[in-house]
Amino acid sequence: MQISLQQIAPSFFNKENYSGSEVWGKTVVFNKGENLHVVAPSGSGKTSLTHFLYGLRTDYTGDILYNNENIKTFDKEKFSLWRKQHISIVFQDMRLFTEQTVLQNLEIKRQLLPYHDENKITCMARQLGIENKLTKCCNTCSYGEQQRIAIIRSLLQPFDFLLLDEPFSHLDDVNTKKAMALIEEEAAIRNAAIILNDLRKIDHLKAERILYL
Amino acid sequence: MALSYKNIAPFLSAGQNRLSRWLSYTGLAVGVLLLLCSIQMYVNINKLLKDKNPRKDGYDYISVTKLITNDNMAEDHSFTDAEIAELKKQKTVDDATPLLANKFLVKATGGSTIPFTTDLFLESIENNFIDTVPADFKWQEGQDIVPVIISSDYLELYNTVFAPGKDLPQFSAKSISSVRIQLECYTAAGTTKTFKASVVGLSDRINSVLVPTAFLQWANGQLAGPAKTNPSRIFIKTKDANNPELLSFLEQKNYHVNKDKTKFGRVKQILQAIVSGLSGFGILVIILAMLLFSFYLQLMIERSKDNLQLLITLGYSPGWLSKTVAAKWTPVYAIIILIPLLLTAIFQWIFQQFAMNGRDDLPVYIHWSVALIAVLLLVLSVTVNYRLVKKLLHKL
Repeated sequence: MQISLQQIAPSFFNKENYSGSEVWGKTVVFNKGENLHVVAPSGSGKTSLTHFLYGLRTDYTGDILYNNENIKTFDKEKFSLWRKQHISIVFQDMRLFTEQTVLQNLEIKRQLLPYHDENKITCMARQLGIENKLTKCCNTCSYGEQQRIAIIRSLLQPFDFLLLDEPFSHLDDVNTKKAMALIEEEAAIRNAAIILNDLRKIDHLKAERILYL
Repeated sequence: MALSYKNIAPFLSAGQNRLSRWLSYTGLAVGVLLLLCSIQMYVNINKLLKDKNPRKDGYDYISVTKLITNDNMAEDHSFTDAEIAELKKQKTVDDATPLLANKFLVKATGGSTIPFTTDLFLESIENNFIDTVPADFKWQEGQDIVPVIISSDYLELYNTVFAPGKDLPQFSAKSISSVRIQLECYTAAGTTKTFKASVVGLSDRINSVLVPTAFLQWANGQLAGPAKTNPSRIFIKTKDANNPELLSFLEQKNYHVNKDKTKFGRVKQILQAIVSGLSGFGILVIILAMLLFSFYLQLMIERSKDNLQLLITLGYSPGWLSKTVAAKWTPVYAIIILIPLLLTAIFQWIFQQFAMNGRDDLPVYIHWSVALIAVLLLVLSVTVNYRLVKKLLHKL
């Protein structure tokens, strides 16, 4: 799978705002299997870029293509197919089912198109230090724990691209390292691409390309 | 394991608003019961009153004569051509025709099958005023056999009063046609002309012994001479025999109306109207219940909006979600419709067994149309429900 950005820019940005950007207004191609790191300060459109790539927002100029198909032509059904099989995501704001348990949050994603068996959930939770939270309600978890839940959730499906929007903002260095290792391990199994947005360069990511927004 | 409603159930606030959910279930069941029972009763009424309604194509046919009182007994009670024309002119009268009567003496003898002799009268009327006109109700000069239509009341009277008293055989409506009667017609001079007569039909509408007009005109001319006599009975075709305007006109003219035959039809019409009204009420209740249920669904989806939105964001297909959420209610609808269907079947059995004392002409089981309506209601409920859920989910 390939994702191409063809001169895209948020429609609410002025051209002079992004003249130095390596993404906005440029043609950029992301290929399966490569690790990309998008670095940018606050307000430069990192979350907007992730949402544009995932098809959640359309307030941009230019085109985004999934395998030469313009995603502006996709309906909800078509997006659901891509999200189920090819693209996974960790949102900056986590987007968990707060009234449900951690396990329910993870199972609902795993069951959609099982890539791992249910034991893998416990295994991953143990790896990231939240095994004892599995039966707890999500709204009783700290932001750091919620971020780890969101990361595990994104790894329970098949994918060619994994979009990570400031996924470690609430994690300390040790936990970031563990989470990054798990992400890289899972991406490697699938030969998938990682597109990671963050405020600063994450040393733990072995990125082939670093793009500055 | 394939995904099912069970997987997404914890993410939907289905447990909320139990009262409105149960109210809509009850409303739907009551509405369906009313509708199914009304349809079954409509079928029952049609079956029970089937052969007794002389009303045809939306018209009543009534017989009009001049009222005979002590004061006018000596007067002529026949209708003049002008009076018939005046009757025809009335807005409430769609058609009017005289009943021609015989002007000669007629005697009927039963031959060896029914050994009796009686004086008889014959009448004729335009065929379109007769409720049942068999194909062989025709006569032309030279024809030996005269077809006759008699009132079904006469056959009943013969079977129940006359035949047992005289030790004569009784006849069914079908077997009466095989009886050959001899008609002896006398001229004023006393000579006789004999015809064979055969009962070809029974009339629920006209209380008379009817022969083809061609025969009576010929016989009157041949046997009684050319002198014209006016008819003393007129038949009126009207949309409503109880129309006050018509009744007031007839009363003002001092005409006597024989409406007994139309009363039964009127009762049936009123019963059918009541049952139709009940069906309408049932449909209204069903619509209200479905509206209430749709509010409940909208509320449920509104309350689960964030979760449903997140499910779609995570890759759940809106189409699959619509189908799965809607399918959850299919067994509920099936039960809600099946219970009234069973109750209708029980009511029909009770009605047939106890209220109608097990009458053979009324079936013990519900009519197929009732079951068909139940199936259609189920399909309708499920479809409406699915479309509503789909619309609500696609709006998210």
